[in-house]
Amino acid sequence: MAKLEPYAPTPAARAGRIAKTVTPFVIGIVCVLLSFVPFGRIVGSPLAPAFPLMAIYYWAIVRPEMFPPLAVFAVGVLFDLLSGGEIGLWAFVYVVTYSIVITQRLMLVNVPFSAFWAGFAFTAAFAGALAWVVVSVIHGMLVPPGPVFWHMAVTVAVFPLFAMVFGRFETRVLLGG
Amino acid sequence: MEPNRTALPFREFSHRISLIFMLTLAAALLLLGRAETYVFDRARQVVTDLAAPLLEIASRPVAAARRVIERTDEYAYVFDENERLRAENARLLEWKEEALRLQAKLARYEALLNVQVDQSIEYVSGRVVSDSGGPFIDTVLVNVGSEKGVRSGLAVIDSDGLIGRVVATGPKASRVLLLTDLNSRVPVVVEPSQYKAILAGDNTSWPKLEYLPVQSAVSVGDRVVTSGDGGLIPAGLPVGLVIQTSSGELRVQTFSDRGRLDFVRVLQYEFPSEVKLQDPPSMLRDDAAPAGAGASDAAASGGQRAGVE
Repeated sequence: MAKLEPYAPTPAARAGRIAKTVTPFVIGIVCVLLSFVPFGRIVGSPLAPAFPLMAIYYWAIVRPEMFPPLAVFAVGVLFDLLSGGEIGLWAFVYVVTYSIVITQRLMLVNVPFSAFWAGFAFTAAFAGALAWVVVSVIHGMLVPPGPVFWHMAVTVAVFPLFAMVFGRFETRVLLGG
Repeated sequence: MEPNRTALPFREFSHRISLIFMLTLAAALLLLGRAETYVFDRARQVVTDLAAPLLEIASRPVAAARRVIERTDEYAYVFDENERLRAENARLLEWKEEALRLQAKLARYEALLNVQVDQSIEYVSGRVVSDSGGPFIDTVLVNVGSEKGVRSGLAVIDSDGLIGRVVATGPKASRVLLLTDLNSRVPVVVEPSQYKAILAGDNTSWPKLEYLPVQSAVSVGDRVVTSGDGGLIPAGLPVGLVIQTSSGELRVQTFSDRGRLDFVRVLQYEFPSEVKLQDPPSMLRDDAAPAGAGASDAAASGGQRAGVE
């Protein structure tokens, strides 16, 4: 019986594997930075979509093992540090949302895109409502819900575009090569 | 494959444990963050300073795209714009006459009162490089920091009027709290009634006027300017106009457009809280000198008067 050599990956293969493992997380970080680029200024509106939420939802459904809770937490904390608001607000909202999305994962994986998108609409509504409740409790008053509503509406509207981009990354970087 | 399959329940379990751990950590952070400890402020400054150059690069194409859109808009409306400008020019000429007349009058009054005009306030110019990035916060990052003399509390204006004040600075970037933010409170005066109020942001596009002594004395279209109370923001900076919302509430439409912030100026205003002690005029000093004991008294009272003025 032939004895198999123990598997020893070359450094390049190892680097490639590390790159694959961190790609979803790096995309998450890029999404955080994207939220601070003043795109709204092009058309003269302060509305900006919640880019990190799209990344979190997408990877939680498609590749949860590559986007662990720690990554979600890190993305949320980075967002909080950059935004200058309550620290922990979006970390909390994103981790809670992630844990709920994970429980519904089997319902949303490998479904037509419209169902995937509808799932995201529910997720965004939940995240927006939770954030609104937390901020209202912190400030001890009912914060006007208009801004967060439009924020999430814009997010749901641009989701297909980003899902397409994430999908490209998944097929090219994670599955290919 | 074999070792993976046996490890699967364990991995799922560890995934769940880490999820619970992160949930607890996030909740704890949310509570701890309320204490506003030094660590969080420090971390925030470091992250902001690191991200500012990246965001500045990213905001360049945004500014370029906006210019292209504005340019095309301008071409489309060039005739209307011309017509409008002609009308405005005629109106402004009338105003110029009025201004000249008032200037002459003011010069006479100033000569009469011997008022010293404030020396102009120095400023630092910068660009807005980031958006607020969240629906509950209205702050922007500006690409000038403590290296250029920006400090917390300084007023920030753009070409239209006050936009907010600096709340945090790093070496290369500062955070500006806009007038519409939930935490923004700015002392203002409503002209022409001269009633003072606090302009309070509440996360909508139009900040409220709080602590107005007489609600009825303010009407739609009144100008709102900074009052200078508190000594943080110079008096007389244009803020906005009083408007009425559909619910009948009086609010303020700011002159600066929240969606189009680009170049801004940080005013390095220093409230003249300490007035230099002035020596009494030589004439008085000569009078006081022979009296001997009275000299120090005279100097003290002279100093006090200078302080009061």
